[in-house]
Amino acid sequence: MKKIKGYIFSRPFLDERAPQHVQNIVIRDYCKKENLHYGLSAVEYAMKNSYKTLHQLVNNLKSLDGIVAYSVFQLPSDDLERKNILKKIIKQKKTLFFALEELRLSTNDDLKKIDNIWLVRKILPNCLKEIN
Amino acid sequence: MAKKNFLTSEELKLSNNFKKDGFIIRDVASSKSLNWIQSKFVSLIKKELKLSSNISNIDILNFTHKKISISNLNNFRLKIYNLINKEPDYRYHYFQVAKPFIEAIAGNELAMQKKVNLSIQLPKDDSSLLAVHSDVWAGDSPFEIVVWLPLVNCFKTKTMYILPPKKNKIFNKKVSKKKYSDNEKVYRLIKHDVKWIKINYGQVLIFDQSLPHGNIVNKEKETRWSLNCRFKNTFTPYGDKKIGEFFEPITLRAISEIGLRYKLPKMK
Repeated sequence: MKKIKGYIFSRPFLDERAPQHVQNIVIRDYCKKENLHYGLSAVEYAMKNSYKTLHQLVNNLKSLDGIVAYSVFQLPSDDLERKNILKKIIKQKKTLFFALEELRLSTNDDLKKIDNIWLVRKILPNCLKEIN
Repeated sequence: MAKKNFLTSEELKLSNNFKKDGFIIRDVASSKSLNWIQSKFVSLIKKELKLSSNISNIDILNFTHKKISISNLNNFRLKIYNLINKEPDYRYHYFQVAKPFIEAIAGNELAMQKKVNLSIQLPKDDSSLLAVHSDVWAGDSPFEIVVWLPLVNCFKTKTMYILPPKKNKIFNKKVSKKKYSDNEKVYRLIKHDVKWIKINYGQVLIFDQSLPHGNIVNKEKETRWSLNCRFKNTFTPYGDKKIGEFFEPITLRAISEIGLRYKLPKMK
């Protein structure tokens, strides 16, 4: 069974907000489905644009198989910072899971896919957005 | 002189049919992909229900009700749904069966639902019904289309119905004037106006999920197996089903990928 650590947010992200206990419920449920051994969650700092907790997790993956974040949109919005974090995970041959979207990253192909999702999401406010 | 239309005559025909009827039915664009999908399903069912290999694919699907009870149906459906959605090429083949029709209606930079839904309607089962509804009423974006693929022939009560756009306009006026307390009353209101979809294995249905649609108890002697999956243009508005968690881009084109990553040079 893969040993992983949770990662949740204490602030809104991309206009979304989920209470911490709800984020943990989603992560726990995902781990159960994916047969992952979940060892509690680390909480990101509330300060805008802070990714200190995530960096710390990524830099201390030796005893773990990976991280499971609540959402892919909790990654840094800055394209370069996001890519660097993801590359570090791939380089260490670890996996980053995203519970809400049921996505995972362990290869460069996954990185491209996640990057595309992020870039489309970022450009959507500039596309047609009103339904009525 | 008449102006040339930018769409091809086939695209135009498809678009006009879709706008007029609220759906189109076509022979699948790739029989190879359809066979791949049906064979995968049959092999999962055979394994799960421990069936012998001398039964034909179509009989296994049409007569599933002889091997599974209504009370076990949902667990069985979820098991097959999870297994088939783990097949890495499943969504690729699903897209291939309807690619040119989807592109004619929704464009070619598409976002596709991440998991293809599975519906199994056993005869006389009232536990798997989808009462009259429009997906948009429940938060879907009106920019989505549903690609509905039967694994067996579907007819009479073994199929689904849809309210055509013209009738929907009348329906919208009616419901805005009077309160209808439940879905059954809403269904009675449109019962004589809905179009029942007759579709055979080998064909694919694409419909406008903003129109009221649903099904009733399957009173035929065969089980219905059908799949459905939403597609939309990547850059149109999303409803409650978001990019990332529900949809993912599948056919981004080169200049979009370049544009998405473009940064203006920092000039002094």
